[in-house]
Amino acid sequence: MTVTWERCIRLKEPLKTRPFLIFAGLAAVGLLLGAYRELMGLGYVTGLNDGYSWGLFKNWNVTALTALGSGGYAVAVLAWIFNEKRFHPIMRTAVLTSLLGYGTGMLALGFDVGRPWNFVWLADPRTWNHYSVLWEVAVCMTAYFMLALDVENMPPFLESMYRSDDPVKKERAMKIFKFLQKTFPFGIALAFTLPSMHQSSLGSLMYLAGPRVHPLWQTPLLALLYLLMAYILGFACVLLVLALCAYVYDLGWDVDIMQRLGQVMAWTTVIWLVVRFADLAYRGALKYALTFDRYSIYFLIEEALILVPTVLLFSKANRQSPGKLFRLTFLICLGGLFYRFTPTTLAFSPLGDYRYFPSTFEILMSIGFTALAVAVFLYAVKTFAILPASKGKIASEAAMRPFDTL
Amino acid sequence: MDVNRREVLKVLMGGSAVAAVAMTGAPVANAGDSKEFELQPDAVGLMYDATKCIGCRACMPACQNANGLKPDTGGSGGLYQQPDTLNANTKNLIKLYTAPDGHERSFMKQQCMHCVDPACVSGCPMKALHKEPQGVVGWDPVLCIGCRYCQVACPFNIPKFEWEKFNPKIVKCEMCRHIVGKTVSQPACTQVCPTHAVIYGKRSDLLAEAKRRIQEKPGYYFQDRVYGETEAGGTQCLVLSHVDYSNLGLPKLTNESPAAKTRQVSDFVYRGFLTPVVVYGGIVAIVRNRWKEHLKHAEHEGGEAHGEEKRA
Repeated sequence: MTVTWERCIRLKEPLKTRPFLIFAGLAAVGLLLGAYRELMGLGYVTGLNDGYSWGLFKNWNVTALTALGSGGYAVAVLAWIFNEKRFHPIMRTAVLTSLLGYGTGMLALGFDVGRPWNFVWLADPRTWNHYSVLWEVAVCMTAYFMLALDVENMPPFLESMYRSDDPVKKERAMKIFKFLQKTFPFGIALAFTLPSMHQSSLGSLMYLAGPRVHPLWQTPLLALLYLLMAYILGFACVLLVLALCAYVYDLGWDVDIMQRLGQVMAWTTVIWLVVRFADLAYRGALKYALTFDRYSIYFLIEEALILVPTVLLFSKANRQSPGKLFRLTFLICLGGLFYRFTPTTLAFSPLGDYRYFPSTFEILMSIGFTALAVAVFLYAVKTFAILPASKGKIASEAAMRPFDTL
Repeated sequence: MDVNRREVLKVLMGGSAVAAVAMTGAPVANAGDSKEFELQPDAVGLMYDATKCIGCRACMPACQNANGLKPDTGGSGGLYQQPDTLNANTKNLIKLYTAPDGHERSFMKQQCMHCVDPACVSGCPMKALHKEPQGVVGWDPVLCIGCRYCQVACPFNIPKFEWEKFNPKIVKCEMCRHIVGKTVSQPACTQVCPTHAVIYGKRSDLLAEAKRRIQEKPGYYFQDRVYGETEAGGTQCLVLSHVDYSNLGLPKLTNESPAAKTRQVSDFVYRGFLTPVVVYGGIVAIVRNRWKEHLKHAEHEGGEAHGEEKRA
């Protein structure tokens, strides 16, 4: 059903549904295994070794999945910089997916590092190696997650605080919100600059590995390609989450917003493809593309998953059909995640005879961290006014003045 | 809509003008030129001449003892020390290469190459891996967070990690820096080597010695070349062998350090942190106008929305 999404609503649904309990259960398993890992060391729980010392946690949960968490960043660029006002009703959903996407990545990172207690030295600038790309990622990602994303996600929380009967709470919520309103441009600029920095640095990380990454992926432009892919996956994630919520919670379908998201994503993908192939041609690496070895096949799968749906998304009829838009976006999303993951693991070859395949515990932990994000999302959309809806949709509560300005 | 587009363009052009000035005019510290990453005049190193090595492996237990490492007896069923790769208990390993035809053979001493501009040091977020005064690459347990980026970055695949430990360490050759110059004059491996296949000294002396040996026997060493003179920007440990170095686990590398290449990309983008500042300023300028507009618009619609809220 075609509607216009105009306001954010809190869903009128019970929290403890079966899917919620399944996700919460998976999250609990992941966290319990995490505790076991802290006691036993990484070797007992994961398939990591001295050749492949980065695996699922860093390469999948951080490098690949935080790109999905770039939805808040990508849609904010559309809404605030390109001034596309139609996107304001979906901003709350977008920034929530970002918070959770990054949250699950940070959690995985915490369990992945071997000596986390030494993080305290980050407080002492003398220990900073500002030449280290990983230092840049660590500081910048932490700042984005701990500061910018929290500020962006404050309004629904303050709104629910304001609804309380306690006048002190009410006043405090309004006070904080007034402050947010005043400083908002400075906050949103931070929420733009920081991800631009660390999403590109995630690519530069593998540039230091030099010839250990296959030439189909190794390039000084990894930073740019990773950043563009963060935009693409950010749009894709917001689109997929909204589509699923619209289907499950009967939110209707705002064709205008959804087809425009698909269109912008397709254009960004075109830019990405141009950079990708121009770089391959310039470096003379295209000759590896059709050798049909392991790497060539990864490359062809990646390009097919990204190129074919992008072309199809340029048809307006395809973008206006909810089912087709969802399926095409899903394919691009798979291709994009595959691109972000490949240079770190599949196209990475250490010297010597090393093999890596994640262990069962490792996979369960990785799934658990992601399931935690999904469970918190389900909790949040039933507790706060987050998801977009038309004026006609009956909900527990809708966003109210002045909180709905954010 | 037109007005907004124009506005964006204006701000973007302003921003890029500032950036352009910054790119050409501002004094940008070029990391490639910095003294910090050059070969230190007093740098020390090892030279391993595989043609002199008899494969006695005396250096391995000597290394183990000097560094307090447990012997790895896995390969021998617990009888004697026989690791198959460098690992958390093995910083130094003698391996034998035999060509498929069985004729060509060479030993190889596998250990940290102590790069002049090491990828591991460049990647280490907390300066746990660092260059010591004479260019030795040291590891500091107090600062290491166990991220293992050094393992991803090292082109020789040298740093190893204690996977089975609760408080894991990074293990790699530190050229016996805890005892050299204090209780002993040279690392344990060079001390015990019976044929002087591996020797310790100033890198410049070692390189001269290696070249003298090549000159003495032209055509004897592989390509009449010292491995480590220029590879990956040069290493402080040098290797001589009559066998193709890539068969000994020494990869074919360009003369540029991966660390220097990564710094060049970062410098090009960041301009000494000017780029993020310019971008931030530009976004604030754009969003400020948008935000005022947005609030005004919201106020205008305020009454209606409020009424809606009451009905809902």
